[in-house]
Amino acid sequence: MDNLRIPAIKRKEKINLYVNGKPITAYAGETVLAALLAAGYKIIKKNPVSQEPRGALCGMGVCFECTVTINGVPNIRACVTEVQEGMRVELDD
Amino acid sequence: MIEDKSKYEVIIVGSGLAGLVAANILADYNLKILLVDENIHLGGQLLRKIPEELGEYSELHLDKVKRVGFEFVNQVKQKKLTLLNKTILMGIYNDREILLEWNRQKAFSLKYDLLLLATGARERFIPFKGWTLPGVYSTGLVQVLMKSSGVLPARRMLIGGTGLFLLAAGYEYLKNGGRLLGIMEQSPWLNKIKFMPQIFHQFPKFWEGARYLSLIYRSRVPVKYKRKIVEARGEKQVEEVVVARVDGRGRVIKGTERTYSVEALAVGYGFVPNIEAAQLAGCELEYAREKGGWTVKVNDRLETSVPDILAAGEITGIGGGQKSICEGQLAAYTILEKLGKVKEVPFAPRLKKLQRERKHHLSFMKCFNSLYQVEPATLLDLPEETIICRCESVTLKDLKEALKMGCHNPNALKVATRCAMGKCQGRTCTPIIYELLQAMCQREGGEIGLFTVRPPLKPISLQALNKSSS
Ligand SMILES: Cc1cc2nc3c(=O)[nH]c(=O)nc-3n(C[C@H](O)[C@H](O)[C@H](O)COP(=O)(O)OP(=O)(O)OC[C@H]3O[C@@H](n4cnc5c(N)ncnc54)[C@H](O)[C@@H]3O)c2cc1C
Ligand code: FES
Repeated sequence: MDNLRIPAIKRKEKINLYVNGKPITAYAGETVLAALLAAGYKIIKKNPVSQEPRGALCGMGVCFECTVTINGVPNIRACVTEVQEGMRVELDD
Repeated sequence: MIEDKSKYEVIIVGSGLAGLVAANILADYNLKILLVDENIHLGGQLLRKIPEELGEYSELHLDKVKRVGFEFVNQVKQKKLTLLNKTILMGIYNDREILLEWNRQKAFSLKYDLLLLATGARERFIPFKGWTLPGVYSTGLVQVLMKSSGVLPARRMLIGGTGLFLLAAGYEYLKNGGRLLGIMEQSPWLNKIKFMPQIFHQFPKFWEGARYLSLIYRSRVPVKYKRKIVEARGEKQVEEVVVARVDGRGRVIKGTERTYSVEALAVGYGFVPNIEAAQLAGCELEYAREKGGWTVKVNDRLETSVPDILAAGEITGIGGGQKSICEGQLAAYTILEKLGKVKEVPFAPRLKKLQRERKHHLSFMKCFNSLYQVEPATLLDLPEETIICRCESVTLKDLKEALKMGCHNPNALKVATRCAMGKCQGRTCTPIIYELLQAMCQREGGEIGLFTVRPPLKPISLQALNKSSS
């Protein structure tokens, strides 16, 4: 699903991440949220109270709707975290 | 991280235009300065661009404010001051001390002589049925995703809400190859253009708007006024959006609904000042809808009611980039004077000129913001099952029932319903709840009161707490 990436940007280094164990490709400098959306992961988690699916809303660290577990650390906001090689991202969807 | 934990003469929180400009001026005066920002990059909300490590991308057009802004970013990096990104202000204490958390890893406190709060603004949200579905994004998310990561949020998208920012987001989405289905502006602002005299003072803003509109029209994208997003529908994510006409007071006209099939919906309703840090410090606040709601009260030198704390930029009232630049300068000169550095500049005339300029910005801000107001009363027309507090899934019905039981202020509503108690600590829903309370109690904004704010200002990481206590 590379076609959400803006083609006019000449990208540099590829980065491999794992989302719930599955490999996806991203590029250095992208946020985890951008990498997830570009790979087709729109549903980030279930709301703990209503159990409904939720996804990112604000994109700038305010709403906490994009929190994921990264390398075992829970509650990390995907929209303000940059991708790093080998990152393991768990979505609670 | 930061090595020097001894006292700083000036600590600036927020590296948006206001904080950046102030830091740039102050750094020439041989002071010990720290500039902190939660973000990965310097520059705040306005100054975002594709990071160098991601790749090359020359933006087609930077307007003047952004050009000047990026110059400030480059300059400040060369100067003598300490810059600390990924660092959140968590608390402000008596005795001129603050608590910071760096990179989710370390919490530490620092002392200051003077503190400048330039914490800017965040987006305002107005709820509608289904706004919690994945694929409903803020216009800010759309911009940030494209500008900082070079990724489109979706291939086919509708934009709705109110404000010039809808056009900015639409313009950039089109420019980057997205398929824009339409822009639905809730306000009838074309009818209100009677504010013309003030508008000419800030012509660049409208020139900007005209530039956006010309590409949007050329791309045959419909831009409709008096249209409101009434519902987002979908199984697990947004698939359809229902839009309806509204009357002059923002009330939906029944029978005018139209459905759009979308991959995503972007909504924007203007901005609200990030007052929480100032509130925590005990700074006096004031309520004015035309300034964006609750703002930090300052005098014409940008001093707050708390000695040694100043405020600049969007937190004193939503006014856009030029107001933030002006206030950044003004705050810097006030600080220089307070620290006894004044003799080195021809000072008084400059201060006067900035104060005059600021007055222009303030009067423009009032007119401009009132073009795009959403009437609080229209919130009461929402279906009762509409979620207001997303984190705790509190509905309009829950809030109305609590009100009937006598919860007439924000804190009482919070205790009764858990609204504003979730992970985002109410950053998303508090402005909505303030307006709902106004409408439900038929009182003015300022009379409703505020939610109490306590440290830490954002959820602090356990790792950081452990490290700081050991
Ligand atoms: C999404 C968005 C898009 C915008 N786009 C435009 C635009 O296109 N044109 C325009 O004229 N205006 C735009 N604005 C308005 C913009 O805010 C102003 O134009 C101007 O840039 C504001 O400068 P500022 O310094 O007052 O605040 P900001 O730029 O908001 O900067 C505030 C900074 O403070 C930091 N901060 C806040 N709280 C903390 C804390 N507790 N700890 C550490 N750091 C903190 C933030 O990370 C941020 O970097 C936009 C605003 C938003 C929210
Ligand atoms: S999307 Fe709102 S915090 Fe990440």
